[in-house]
Amino acid sequence: MMQWLYKLGSPKWFYDMTTAFLPWLSGVTFLLLIVGLVWGLGFAPPDYQMGDNFRIIYIHVPTAVGMIWIYAMMATMAAMHMIWNLKLADMVAKSCALVGASYCAVALFTGAVWGKPTWGTYWIWDAKLTATLIMLFIYIGIMALRAAFDSETSGSKAASVLTLVGVVNLPIIYYAAIWWETLHQPPSDLGLRAEGANPPEIWIPALFTGFGLIGLVFLIVILRTRNEILLRERRAQWVQELLEQEASHA
Amino acid sequence: MPDFQFQSLADFLAMGGYALYVWLGYGFFFIVMGWNLIQPWRDRQKILKLLRARQQREAGWQDNRPVPEEVR
Repeated sequence: MMQWLYKLGSPKWFYDMTTAFLPWLSGVTFLLLIVGLVWGLGFAPPDYQMGDNFRIIYIHVPTAVGMIWIYAMMATMAAMHMIWNLKLADMVAKSCALVGASYCAVALFTGAVWGKPTWGTYWIWDAKLTATLIMLFIYIGIMALRAAFDSETSGSKAASVLTLVGVVNLPIIYYAAIWWETLHQPPSDLGLRAEGANPPEIWIPALFTGFGLIGLVFLIVILRTRNEILLRERRAQWVQELLEQEASHA
Repeated sequence: MPDFQFQSLADFLAMGGYALYVWLGYGFFFIVMGWNLIQPWRDRQKILKLLRARQQREAGWQDNRPVPEEVR
């Protein structure tokens, strides 16, 4: 287990693996996103109550679910960094913060422009909305805290602790609409079991954008982590060789 | 294959009267995601340039050649 962890924790191994994996990941991600967005915007039938405005669902729900999963991934990495002192885990956690904040901001913004014609307001202090806004502040707080330290090591430790404290917000966001019946509706049934829930024509494009946006998370996190590896490992022999190789290609 | 739901391009852009909300939402989405992709790519170019300059500076040192003024 530990051997496996240390192999996975090797920045060079991560860098080499992602070099091979990146073209496939970006290809699949963009294909899923293009199919899902074109289908959702142009070909899915309009909702019988909300008309064409419901088309926001294809970016609202995946980014809202995404911001929670990114946080879970970031917290797992922070824990691995704290327990086993894995440097790579810290680099991945650092790369997650801005992507998570972006997904959070998109979920809030698309929610606002969906809420205006449907609920009659851009914003309300509903439980789920408020918990999501707090999550955005936590993401920004983690980035600011890390940046506030001169020492890389101290910044990493402080950011890891704050990340783990912020986990308390995850179940609150997910269950907010169930615990407190305010305005935001609870998560919808996909209609796999129930009749009369959303029909497949509506939710199949959401699966495409959903998986596409998960792919996009991995793509962005990998790109950022590779940059972080190059910077932190700049003295390593393999980085020096890599620079020479790339220079001879160019 | 499902049918295209709109009569024309103008009809598509009008989004059944919800154009402002739908396109604001999608516009924000594309800007944020596009920036998230461009930023690490630009960072990478900067880092490679920086590390290469450092490498050349150190190589020059070992060769006992005088270090060029601009990279010192």
